[in-house]
Amino acid sequence: MDEFRRQLRARSYLFALVLTVGLLIANIIALPAFGAPHNWTANLSLFAPFMLVACASTPAVISGGGGLDISIGPLATCISIFIVAKLLPSSTFHSPFLAVPIALLFGAGVGFTNGFLVAVLRFEPVIATLCMLFVLTGVALEITPEAGGAPAGNWTTALTGHTLGVVGPLLMIAAPIVVWWALGRTPLLRHLYGVGANDAAAFSAGVNVTAVRIFAYTLGGVFAGVAGIALAAILQAADATLIGSYTLIAIAAVVLGGTPIGGGRGGLLNSILGASTIFLLQNFLTSIHVSANWQQPAYGAMLLAGVILGSLALRQRPPKARAAA
Amino acid sequence: MRAIGRVRLTRPIAVLMSAIFPQTSAREEPSGAAAEVLIRVDSVAKAFGPTRALRDCSLDLRAGEVHAIMGENGSGKSTLVKLLTGVHRPDRGELTIGGRTVRGLRSPRTALDQGVVAVLQEILVAPPRSVLDNVWLGYDGLLRDRASRRQKQDRARAVLAELLEHPPALDRPVEDLSISDRQACCIARALVRDPAVLILDEATSALDVATRDRLFEIARRLTSQGTGVFFISHRMDEVEAIADRVTVLRSGNSVATRSRDQTSPRELVMLMTGQDHLVGGEERRAAGRRGGDAVLRASHLQLRSGAAPFDFTLHAGEIVGVAGLEGHGQDVFLHVLRGVAIPGGALYAMRTGEQPVAIHSPHEAGQRGIAYVPRERRAEALFETQSVRENFALPTVAQDRSGMLVRKRRTARRLQMYVDRLSIRLSDPGNPITTLSGGNQQKVVMARWLAAKPRVLVLNDPTRGVDLGAKRDFYAMLGELAADGVAVVMLSTELDEHVELMDRVLVFRDFELSRELLAAEVSRDALVASFFGQEPGAHG
Repeated sequence: MDEFRRQLRARSYLFALVLTVGLLIANIIALPAFGAPHNWTANLSLFAPFMLVACASTPAVISGGGGLDISIGPLATCISIFIVAKLLPSSTFHSPFLAVPIALLFGAGVGFTNGFLVAVLRFEPVIATLCMLFVLTGVALEITPEAGGAPAGNWTTALTGHTLGVVGPLLMIAAPIVVWWALGRTPLLRHLYGVGANDAAAFSAGVNVTAVRIFAYTLGGVFAGVAGIALAAILQAADATLIGSYTLIAIAAVVLGGTPIGGGRGGLLNSILGASTIFLLQNFLTSIHVSANWQQPAYGAMLLAGVILGSLALRQRPPKARAAA
Repeated sequence: MRAIGRVRLTRPIAVLMSAIFPQTSAREEPSGAAAEVLIRVDSVAKAFGPTRALRDCSLDLRAGEVHAIMGENGSGKSTLVKLLTGVHRPDRGELTIGGRTVRGLRSPRTALDQGVVAVLQEILVAPPRSVLDNVWLGYDGLLRDRASRRQKQDRARAVLAELLEHPPALDRPVEDLSISDRQACCIARALVRDPAVLILDEATSALDVATRDRLFEIARRLTSQGTGVFFISHRMDEVEAIADRVTVLRSGNSVATRSRDQTSPRELVMLMTGQDHLVGGEERRAAGRRGGDAVLRASHLQLRSGAAPFDFTLHAGEIVGVAGLEGHGQDVFLHVLRGVAIPGGALYAMRTGEQPVAIHSPHEAGQRGIAYVPRERRAEALFETQSVRENFALPTVAQDRSGMLVRKRRTARRLQMYVDRLSIRLSDPGNPITTLSGGNQQKVVMARWLAAKPRVLVLNDPTRGVDLGAKRDFYAMLGELAADGVAVVMLSTELDEHVELMDRVLVFRDFELSRELLAAEVSRDALVASFFGQEPGAHG
């Protein structure tokens, strides 16, 4: 049992991995066309926003201290509306070489503000990002135009396979993975995990805890910017009603992936697997004609199982085992 | 620019110089007047709200010396360390570090950059991270590594090998290690930084004896190379073993600095407290409380598979010590006594003239009058968000009921009784428990269990990190309890406690009861010998 726990702790993504593989098979059995290569582009394009909001929610959770960013869903939605309603129709900013950096900066700015509120002004992360959620919801509604369609033939369609094929969605999916990998080659990620696991230890060892926490929220904001681009690409329209649907699913994907809310553990891979689990489950339930009303309870049940497994892995060993270790 | 920086950079040259011209190096004579001063603390004061933690404290640290700082809890030791490590800045006074006089250090980072590195009593690790990451925690810049991974691995391996007989694999998560090994990781974190000034603030209290001795070896090697060590410990034997000079703090003032050769434990205790004995051992033992009726019997205790089982009977009115090197089964034994079942073992509570009653769980043990005071005060015993009164009253609040209502005044009256008896220092019982010092928190926890009027008291290292004055109150209280017929089992990591306090001492080794020493046989030498499986007296 102890060894089992240790394995679970070391490979916290196992539960989500097993579910992902299982659900992938279930999907292909239920609807053989799901796995056909000509559907990959569409499936991956649909998957991208899910996965990106999950990735965007991850750094704040890892940074510990109750770290949580519930404004990621609204931020991604708000950025997508901003792209569709303001950037694409604009004669100056419609080019991807300007629009992409602007979208990412938008995300980084909001993330930085969250980080500043949490790390410098010491707001509870849930409260700070809840305030941000309301602000962003207002902004999103304000900038949503009456007729919310994007101009035909804009560059974002390439990301859903129009000209680039399967490379389009893969570009979006790869973005956070590449960034995470690159950060892994600097001390920054180690600092992030160290701060998340024990901020007092990190502080006394000379880590700039404030800077690391601000960085975590800013990185989440940047990833939310990518998610916003993905949303704009798939929807080709400004739709403020999506704010609600991505807010909690992002957190659910993080937790389901095995990244505990306590911080210092888990990672991007966890969240990607968590997001794919939710995405595949949704697909599966739709393809076997289960009412959409039952999808949410199904997420809940799965999340519960994931959390139970996670807490089994993290449970304090009983004194006897501890002494014998 | 900074003398400390120079010491570190020029160390190889200095070694070379001293090899060629033996007399030219000041560091060759560490206690000599010529030794370079690494840190000078000049009349610093620091207050937190109304609490004046430091009033007027001055001392200096010379290159190549181990400078012990002693004092009771609340005497200002921790605050002094926080000033030296950049956690706080002094309100008054000055620090001179590496030849530069400053009002204070801005952050831990500043202190670390000056070569001032501390290991604290609190075990500061990132549990899910690897040993390697924990050893090098905070060393790198935000964006750039300051050493390659290979260099870090080699250095960490070397330092851990010097510190531990069985160093853990570098990729193991620290949460899989024993407490002692976790603290060893914190010490390794300090050592890999090549400190110019090493501060050990109660850093040895979580270490097992073997690791501690190895740490002392390392400290001696470092001082011979010009490092200065501030050493803070509640253990007189450690101070005697390692310190060159001792500074005593009392109530935020530096009272005296003595060279070790010119002082004695007795004088140091007097300087700290104005009193000169741990406990009135002779009178207490003369009272002879042994031979009371059996109150607890444990049979066929096998503390882990393969270990030899043993039986144990506890009598009313005796104080039994539990000793041994850390991690040799003492914790398991205490947990059995508090009612945690182990395979094959059995625990019975007994009352004169009644049938023995088997105990299967800590809950049943509680009902039979067995109280357990855990070791990890913060994690296992305190309700940190609650007041002193709540912390005291929680398990026994039923005593203050009148009908359905709890009478606060009754609780207050009960608490006051223990405040007097245990000399708990507190201003208002409605304040949060966290406003008290560690020793006083521990007394409140003790009061909580005493209020339940236990027949058996199981204590897990209760005086760990508690100051001398509080310890003395505590010993006196244990004596009174025993005289009232309460049976006490106490795990202690302090040899002196076993020598001065216990009626008999159970020594554990490899999860077996290896020896039982009676009061007359207990001495430091005998204890340490039996820890290492030697016959007492055969070889100290």
